Amino acid sequence: MSMIPTAGPGASPSVNKRRRKIDAVSIASFIALVVTTFLMLLPLFFMVSTSLKSKKELLTFPPTFLPESWQWSNYREIFDTLNFGQMYMNSLIIGILTVVGTLFSSALAGYGFARYRGKGSNLWFMLMLSTMMLPYPAIMIPQFILFSKLNWIDTFLPLIVPAFFGSAYNIFLLRQFFTTLPDELFDAGRIDGCSEFRMWRQIALPLSGPALATVAIFAFIYSWNDLLTPVLYLSSSDKFTLPVGMSSFTSSRFRIPPWHLLMVASVLAMLPIVTLFAIAQKRFVEGIVLTGIK
Amino acid sequence: MKTIRIKKSFTLLLATSMLVVLALSGCSGGKSAGDVVPGNDGDSANSGGQVTITHYTIDSEDRTFIEKLVPDFEAQHPNIKVKIEKAPYEQFDSKLQTLIAGGKSPDVTSHYGYGGFAEYYNKDMLLDMNDIIKEDGFKASDYNIPDDLMKIYTVKDQVYGIPVNMYVSLMLYNKDMFDAANVAYPPSDYEDKSWTFDKMVEDAKKMTHVSNDIAKTQYGVDFTWSERDMRPLYFGAEPYSQDTWTNGGVPSETHFDSPEVIAAYNKLFNLILKDKVSPTTEWSKSVAGQNGDAFVTGKVGMTVSGSWSLAGSNDFPFKVGVAAVPAGGNDKVRSVLFVDPLLILKGSKHPKEAFEWIKYLVSDEIQEKSIDLSGGNPPVNTKAAETYYKHFDGIDTADVKKVYEGAVKYGFESYNHLITHYSQINDMFINEMQPIDTGHNTVEEVMPTIQKKVMEIIKR
Repeated sequence: MSMIPTAGPGASPSVNKRRRKIDAVSIASFIALVVTTFLMLLPLFFMVSTSLKSKKELLTFPPTFLPESWQWSNYREIFDTLNFGQMYMNSLIIGILTVVGTLFSSALAGYGFARYRGKGSNLWFMLMLSTMMLPYPAIMIPQFILFSKLNWIDTFLPLIVPAFFGSAYNIFLLRQFFTTLPDELFDAGRIDGCSEFRMWRQIALPLSGPALATVAIFAFIYSWNDLLTPVLYLSSSDKFTLPVGMSSFTSSRFRIPPWHLLMVASVLAMLPIVTLFAIAQKRFVEGIVLTGIK
Repeated sequence: MKTIRIKKSFTLLLATSMLVVLALSGCSGGKSAGDVVPGNDGDSANSGGQVTITHYTIDSEDRTFIEKLVPDFEAQHPNIKVKIEKAPYEQFDSKLQTLIAGGKSPDVTSHYGYGGFAEYYNKDMLLDMNDIIKEDGFKASDYNIPDDLMKIYTVKDQVYGIPVNMYVSLMLYNKDMFDAANVAYPPSDYEDKSWTFDKMVEDAKKMTHVSNDIAKTQYGVDFTWSERDMRPLYFGAEPYSQDTWTNGGVPSETHFDSPEVIAAYNKLFNLILKDKVSPTTEWSKSVAGQNGDAFVTGKVGMTVSGSWSLAGSNDFPFKVGVAAVPAGGNDKVRSVLFVDPLLILKGSKHPKEAFEWIKYLVSDEIQEKSIDLSGGNPPVNTKAAETYYKHFDGIDTADVKKVYEGAVKYGFESYNHLITHYSQINDMFINEMQPIDTGHNTVEEVMPTIQKKVMEIIKR
């Protein structure tokens, strides 16, 4: 993680000169990185700062950098203005179940494609990959009809159940990872009388931390940010997810949007993603260590 | 032997995954079981003759207030249940299309999204209410709905919508800025002949200060009057042929490259480019954000805007007044009306019950009640309108009334409700006119392209 490379022990004097040059370059790029990081963080800073401003202060121009009076009450107000807590819970439930479903089904299918050869398995694989090319609007209406026939409209089911049937991209990703696992491990397992399912669960999965973490993050972020599907399938306020509620916030063309509250909502909505990323990043590093040993 | 084992484990895996799915769907299904029970679904009329109708609307306070009206209505009509379905503004159209295609068509809605009445009409989505009206004996006058408004959503003598809200265009002005520049307030009376477009420019000049410091810059007027294709009408130029209004919004001819229309646009763009009394779109964006309104920040003296802006006027950080839109050269048209109707969709399984609900929403008492509940939606009901004029703190009731009555007299229903494929036309206008805003192209250069593209879109 350190930006400036340090000289290893026993560096010869002739390298020293070059090293000083490298150091100058490194310092320059370090500064450049700090500046860009700062620029990248600026919108984030404004988000937090705006979330603490009063409604009147939002309209002043030029905008203030820091709130004149810190409106911590905005963070309480958001829960009174719309049923934010409920929406948060809804999004979390859907997000977590989507991750569980995606991990289970995609890991299983990916493992199958990676480890077993059968008649036409390549064809099936190609067929599965080709589903990636279908844009969502193309399947939107047939899918809606299907779920409405099942009487699933205005329930969470259309948002969760599809995750249990895998998604081409994740299956592909995991398949590629599983093919890198050495056959010997599984042969050893088989000799020890391990069942096929147990090999998946106790050999393949534990070795796939980073890949699974990636898939989990993708699945969660996708579900957490998804707007169109919940809009289509959910109709009652108590079932709305965060994106639906937040998008309704600016829905009125007739009022000044309460940007300060929207920013409060955005700050709070960001937390699970940041947390998940923090946890998963650790897993990434562990994964690298593991593969290093292997 | 190996393959058999693999097959076996696959079956096992498949079975487990199915079980998990079933278990899960059971769980979450149970959570919302209250809403999945049959009879609550709109298409089953079996539970004691009770039917459920759905009203599909935008998920914003000024629309969802109707939820509060449901209990009273249901008490008065024990055989009808009303369910309110909602979507955010941006997704309103796509959800509606999906609901209809999926056989879950709502019963009652309005054209609250980008698509307008003409688009719905031409897609054959709307129910002709003539039979129901005849059977019911419904008369607009009983509900204090002016006949003129009923005509807007009547095509070839068939009624497709009952008006419920009527927004007009009006001028809002920043009293503080007028006071500071020592300029007299503009009149609210549409009959005041001194209040012309040129007088407006003159007043605006006195309030405009353009400075290198963006924070000190202020402009006299923001004249972005309704949709872009609408604006020539204000100066007396007609871009769409007359037959547009009689055949369901499909004009046989358009005249966007005519000298009259070009002159009209030049007059408006000169406010920005020549007189420099109006802000550029870039400036407005930098001051008020992407969808913001620069007037709200207190940096613009006058703005022509929809009457919906009144609802937010209590939040403005300055004193607000309302005035008539100045005379621009068309002695018949000075204001754009936006009349929202309640429509029954063709897919409705209970049109009669839906009509009961519509009648309830336009009744005197409910129209009056809705003003407060919605935070200031203007009723079509002329009796309830009196209450509406008094609704806005800090703005003179007499001014609101005068402006409203003048706007109705000199008003023209917005094109976006009346012309087919309107969302595409509108997008095209915004894109094609951008180079004029920035001064890269002249109106003369751009209009022939627009004329060609409008005709292409209409013929689709």
